[in-house]
Amino acid sequence: MEDPVLQIPEGWEGRAPDGWEWQTLWEAVEHGDHIYADSRVQEAIDADMDPRVILDDGLFPGFNLQADRFSAQVIFIPEMLITARAMKAGLALIRPLLAAQAEKPLGTFVMGTVLGDMHDIGQSIVTIMLENAGFNVINLGTDVHPDLFIETAMAEKADLVGFSALLSTTVYYQKVTIEEFEKAGHRDKVHILIGGAPTSPEWAEECGADGWGRDAVQAVRKAMELVKEDRAAWA
Amino acid sequence: MVESFTVKFVDPEGEGAERRTTVEAGQTYLDAAHAAGVAMEATCGARGRCRSCRVKVISGEMPPPTIQDTVQLGHDQVRENFRLACQTKVVSDSVVMSVPPKSEAGHQIMTADTSAAMARGLVLDSGVSKFLVQAKAPASEHNQTADWDEIYSVLPETVERRLSLDVMRKIPTALRDKSGELTVTTFQDRVIDLEAGDTTEHLYGMAFDIGTTSIVGSLIDLDTGECLANVGGVNPQAVYGGDLMSRIAYAQFDSKKLQTLRARVLNAIGDFVKEACAEAEISASHVYKIIVVGNTCMHHVLLGIDVTYVGLAPYAPTVNDAIVAPAADLPIKVTPNAQVCLLPIVAGFVGADTMACVLATRIYESDEMRALVDIGTNGEVVMGHKGRLMACSAPAGPALEGAQIRHGMRGAVGAVEKIEIGDDVECQVIGGTPAIGICGSGLIDACAKLVEAGVMERSGRFIRKGRENLPPALQERFIDTPDGIEFVLVKQEDAGKDEPITLTQSDVRQIQLAKSAIFSGISMLQIVMEVSDDELKELMMCGGFGNYINVENAVKIRLVPNLPVENITYSGNAALMGAQIALLSEEERERASELARAIEHVGLATHPDFQDLFVEGMSFLGGPEPAADEGAKRRRSGGRRAAAGGD
Repeated sequence: MEDPVLQIPEGWEGRAPDGWEWQTLWEAVEHGDHIYADSRVQEAIDADMDPRVILDDGLFPGFNLQADRFSAQVIFIPEMLITARAMKAGLALIRPLLAAQAEKPLGTFVMGTVLGDMHDIGQSIVTIMLENAGFNVINLGTDVHPDLFIETAMAEKADLVGFSALLSTTVYYQKVTIEEFEKAGHRDKVHILIGGAPTSPEWAEECGADGWGRDAVQAVRKAMELVKEDRAAWA
Repeated sequence: MVESFTVKFVDPEGEGAERRTTVEAGQTYLDAAHAAGVAMEATCGARGRCRSCRVKVISGEMPPPTIQDTVQLGHDQVRENFRLACQTKVVSDSVVMSVPPKSEAGHQIMTADTSAAMARGLVLDSGVSKFLVQAKAPASEHNQTADWDEIYSVLPETVERRLSLDVMRKIPTALRDKSGELTVTTFQDRVIDLEAGDTTEHLYGMAFDIGTTSIVGSLIDLDTGECLANVGGVNPQAVYGGDLMSRIAYAQFDSKKLQTLRARVLNAIGDFVKEACAEAEISASHVYKIIVVGNTCMHHVLLGIDVTYVGLAPYAPTVNDAIVAPAADLPIKVTPNAQVCLLPIVAGFVGADTMACVLATRIYESDEMRALVDIGTNGEVVMGHKGRLMACSAPAGPALEGAQIRHGMRGAVGAVEKIEIGDDVECQVIGGTPAIGICGSGLIDACAKLVEAGVMERSGRFIRKGRENLPPALQERFIDTPDGIEFVLVKQEDAGKDEPITLTQSDVRQIQLAKSAIFSGISMLQIVMEVSDDELKELMMCGGFGNYINVENAVKIRLVPNLPVENITYSGNAALMGAQIALLSEEERERASELARAIEHVGLATHPDFQDLFVEGMSFLGGPEPAADEGAKRRRSGGRRAAAGGD
């Protein structure tokens, strides 16, 4: 597997002030330098750059590079986490501006780890990545009861619900949670994504999920596909 | 009617009888192997996540390879008709060859010696006593006595009159066979056996450590404390999942499958007892006390208790007290007269095996702060001193035992157990044979030495740039495959199989997850108990590393905290040793119950610092900086102003 390379956004120079340099921010996000990411994004905002441009040209290249490497198993959880945190630091400054421009989130995503399971890392990486991709994410944490997933999805009129399970013993609750959505009559209103080390595409099909992510990167890609598909509307 | 197919299994080494079975359409080759009685492991729990169940389909139709086949075996092997038995459905009559060859299944018996415990002044008091008596058969019809009245009248007063049905049934013949000469055996003053003649010299017990992956046991003379035989082997439940959670998941919500697991472990215990007794040339009917230690899952399964809820938060056990049950009730049929004693449990993931380690290491009487870590599929850490002990579990998974590692194996003949890297790689193999795999201690050495040699960054990533600076022999050992980088530890021409022994990038990741679980478990208890590295006077490693572990390298890969090497000791199989101690001393067995109640259990998952520690603990010590961040300096030293100065 080739080591993924940095994808430089085409024509970025035309969208930035003269002499502007994004390379340092690409590197900072790649290496998880959240202090620099934060200050550089603030400078871009101060220079009146479009928040969408800052996001696409400034933050995403370094982040996508690491995400591709993570998917290719070139880097591992610690490196992906620090990159995700640097990205999050930059994004925190931009998000209010995007909202002010009436840029709508891609969708609302309710996320958590299933009942009986205390594992946090996987779902928190997915959460950061979904936020980075432009989703409004409500994170319910770990050991989440099916009822809480359903209540939250209702209250937030969620487009997608995702639950991870990191134990062979708790994948069972992915199925149970989906069944509870059925019983409550809300299954057709949300797309359901599952993931976690013991899961597989076969299990996703067996338990009735709409999608499966081998890792956080794939989960986000799947979410972006699914959110475009039709669903029944929330009342 | 469902279509059915015949599957024939052939041995890769051409030994042994062929086995065949008939399976229904929809069943996998793994199902077929189990039905045919072929010992095939599925260390990932038949989820297509390891290669332990791979087979070569020699004849018969095959469904197309699944994603898991391709990921685990690679395109080349798939083209050569290798498949994962757990993923491949049988679609025609077929002949398959199971791989890996049988020789890989060899198992080194990791035992403990009773002499160490004896040397520490253990007072022999197993609770089992034999009394030789001369009793008369009832002789008068007037004022008639029963057989038992006659025997009881010549027994010491402390013996209870109450009898089990089994013992009653033995009385009539035993009393009359040798003209009233009888040997009566008691455990805690209850009669457990009664036989004609003098058998007082034959008083034995067995200690068992039932691990998720392997079972070891010792046969011990209860009169002398002498160890007469050691036995051990793979836990036959392992075919239903290598790690604890896969095992629980298998039996979850399914009482029939629980019974399958239970039957397997009971049979194994029975077989090990027979093997040990044969070796020592004694009768299994003279085994009177059996101590069993094991994690909560093994413990509950043995008793036939549903383990469903042990697998779900908050992972609570059903019972945690010490248990004594007649072997006949479990049943362990080969030892009809034995009492089976299970040590108490601390918590769902801190089981009776940990209690045995506590007994063996005597951490409870230490004046200074000490810690013990039992490294196994599910690791446990106990920290503290006289007065206060805390425990937590560290779910490492089976990687450090060689499972779910591409060329991983247990510490058996043919396993690389020791590695040095200078200008080239030097491997030491157990038994001095060509290497067929690598075991836990070899994996620890490999990671430590590869980082030291600059082959791997401390982040666990094999280097891509700058390989030309390495010694030429090391440069040649990199293999860049479409699935990632591998590093050759043993070249194909030196290996005992038809491929080189490599360490893959994904293997390193598995090891990182495993060792960080152990590392963060120890660190968390240090945080909770406010113990600095300096205050920790001793770290006692126990567990399944066989006879060797390089402590220095364990520090380098950060399996354990960075303590002075002389403060880290390796105690071998402390769980088995603790079981032996409880076998020989009722006082110690009782102590386990007191200690189990006193040990405070710390749940790690909910602690706010745990995640950071776990993530931080994945890196190794030393080695080159992770992918040199050259931009950092530039960004810090005014690059920002220069860059922003365009407007």
